[in-house]
Amino acid sequence: MAPLKSLERDYPLIDSTFQNFCASHGIFTVEDFLIHDLYLLAVLAEQHNNSEKLKQGITQVLSIIESRCRPWLNGLELLDDVEQNKHALSTGCERIDAFLQGGIREGYLTELVGPSSCGKTQVCLQTASNVARKYSGRVMYFDSGNSFSSKRIVEFVSQMSDPANNQANRTIQQVMKSIVCHSIFDIFTLLDLLHQLKNSLRSQMGCQVRMLIIDSISSLISPVLGGSGAHGHALMVTAGFLLKELAHENNLAVLVTNHMVAGEVGVSKPALGESWKNIPHVRLLLSRDHVTNISSMSILKHPCLATGKSAEFVIRRGP
Amino acid sequence: MAPPAPLSVTREWLKPDETAKELLVRVLTERPFLLLPPPLHRLPFRVGNVVEIVGTSPCAKTLILIQAAINCILPKEWKGVQYGGLGRAVMFVDLDCRFDVLRFSQLLKRRLIGFRAKVKGNDYELFTVCMRRFLYIRCYDSLEFLATLKTMHCRLQKEKETQAGGVYLLMIDSVGAFYWMDRALSSSSGSNGRKSLSLQCVVETMVQEIQRLLSVHPMLVLAAKSASFGDKQSTTEVIRNPGKRSYSSVLAMDFKSGPQNSLHREYMPSVWQSFVTHRIQVRASDDNSKHQNNSTYLTEWLLPWLKFSDKFIINDDGLLVIL
Repeated sequence: MAPLKSLERDYPLIDSTFQNFCASHGIFTVEDFLIHDLYLLAVLAEQHNNSEKLKQGITQVLSIIESRCRPWLNGLELLDDVEQNKHALSTGCERIDAFLQGGIREGYLTELVGPSSCGKTQVCLQTASNVARKYSGRVMYFDSGNSFSSKRIVEFVSQMSDPANNQANRTIQQVMKSIVCHSIFDIFTLLDLLHQLKNSLRSQMGCQVRMLIIDSISSLISPVLGGSGAHGHALMVTAGFLLKELAHENNLAVLVTNHMVAGEVGVSKPALGESWKNIPHVRLLLSRDHVTNISSMSILKHPCLATGKSAEFVIRRGP
Repeated sequence: MAPPAPLSVTREWLKPDETAKELLVRVLTERPFLLLPPPLHRLPFRVGNVVEIVGTSPCAKTLILIQAAINCILPKEWKGVQYGGLGRAVMFVDLDCRFDVLRFSQLLKRRLIGFRAKVKGNDYELFTVCMRRFLYIRCYDSLEFLATLKTMHCRLQKEKETQAGGVYLLMIDSVGAFYWMDRALSSSSGSNGRKSLSLQCVVETMVQEIQRLLSVHPMLVLAAKSASFGDKQSTTEVIRNPGKRSYSSVLAMDFKSGPQNSLHREYMPSVWQSFVTHRIQVRASDDNSKHQNNSTYLTEWLLPWLKFSDKFIINDDGLLVIL
C-alpha cells in the first residue's frame, strides 16, 4: 500500500508535519494506519501544538481508506447483480447442464476432482469449445500438463455444429481464435498471469473474457505444499482468493481440476488437503467406468444442490 | 491548584443519575436478549455476545448464519400476519467470498410463502423490505477486512438513522479465512518502532475494532470458523473406526465423536479465543442411516459446555432440527 509521502500531492492535509508525527509513532504507509489504534493516535495528537491539523490529517487518511473500500450492498442489489451478470454457461453436454442447473456458473469457482484418466481434461476441452462457440468473449486455458489438444477442440465443435460445410469452417476459425492457451508449470507463473489478467480486465483493455480453465491446478500447487513452512499453503490460498476475485468482479466462470490422493485406509480423497476445501464454490467428483465408458459426476459441495447427488453422462470420443 | 468546586456542583455530582429500575429498563431495551432460530436456540443471547460456529467443510455453517439472518430481517408482524422476526438489519462480512444470494433469496421466499395461507399478494413488497435489511460486503484479504472494520462506524450510524433502530447482527464468514496468508506475512523490519504486519497483529486489531464497534452499536456477533487444520495433513489424531469404509465415505465426513473432541484444534490466536463468549461445533454425523436421503448434522455446544447435542438435516426449506 501507498507510503504516506505519495499522498501529499493530492491531499495537502498530509503534509510533512503530519508525516513526521506519524513516523514518530511508527506509521509510514497506509497499511500501517490500518493496524494502529486510531483513537490512541488522535489522543496523542492532542498533545502537539497543531493538534487540529493532525486530527484532520487522520480523518483525511480514513476517508481515503473508505473511498478505496468496496461499497456495502443490500440483498436486492446483490440479487440484481447475479440475475443480470452471472449466467450459467453451457458445457456442451446436456446431462451435465441439467444436473448443474444450467452449467458452469459465472462468478463461481468450480472444481472438478477425479482420479487420473477419468475425463477431467475432456470435460474442460468440451466446455472450452462450447463456451467459445456459443458465447462472445474469450476462453483462457491454462494448461499445466501439456494436455490441451486443438484437434480435440475441432472434433467437439464439429460434433456440435450442423454439417453445412462453409459455416463449419468459419465456426471453427472463430472458436480457435477465442481460445487462448498458456502453458504454465509452476505456481509463480500462475500468480503472475492471474495478476496480469486482473489488471487488463480492470483497465477494460482487450476483449472480454468469459471463462478461465486451469488444468490442473493441483499439479501447480502440490509441489509447494508440504514441509513445515506456511508458505505453500499461503500461495495456495492466495491463488484461490485471486481466482474468486476474478470470477466475481469480472463475471468470469472459473473451472479448475484437481487429482486424488490416497486417504485414510485406502479410500482416495481429493488432493490439496483441508485448507483447499473451503475455497471453491462448487466441487464435483468425476469418475469413469472404463468398460462402459459412462462417466459419473457427483456433488461434493454446492451452494444449492445436495451433497451426494449424481448424474451420468458420456463424452463422445472422436471419429 | 484549582479552587475547590462550589457546594452546589458537588451536590449535583453526588445525586444519583437513575434508579436501579430505570437502569434495568434502559439496559433491557438497548441491549435486549435475542433468541435465535435452531440450532442456536438452546441459549439466550444478548447483544454484545460473540458466538463462534466451528466446523469442517462441508457442514452447514453458512446455512446457520443465513437462517439467523432471515429470522432477523423478517418483521415481527406485517399487515396482520405474524412472522415472528426481529425486524432489524443484518451486516454480513463475507471473508470466504462464497455467499450465494440465490440460495438466500430462495430460503427467504419459502419462509414468506409459508405464511401465504393468510395473506395474498404483498409478498413481493415484504420481500424487498426484508432484502434491503440485509447488508453485505466481501473482503479478499486481511487489509481489506481491517479497512472495512475501521470504516464501519459511519455505515452503522447511517443505518441507525434510516431504519427504525440499528443493526442487530454482525456476521463474519469465516473468521479463519486469511489464516494462511497472514501466517506467511513476512515481518518487515521491526526496527524503528514499526509494528510489523503479522497474524497476531491482524487479529489483535480485528478484535479491538470489533470491541469498539460493539460498545457504540450493540450487536450480536456470529462468526463462522473452519475447524482446525495443521501444517501437515496429519490425521493420526483422529480415532479411526475400521470397517466403515465405502465409496460414500469420500462424500461424508467420518469423524468419530470421542469424549475429548479430538479434532477441534484451535488455531486462532488467544486474543480471539478469549474474545469469543459462546462456541458451538457442527459436524456431519457419521451415522449411516440417512434421513430420507439427506445427511444429518450434529451440533454440540462447547462454550458453555452443554451435555446434549442437536441433530438437524438440510432440505429445500433450509435447516430442520430432528429429534
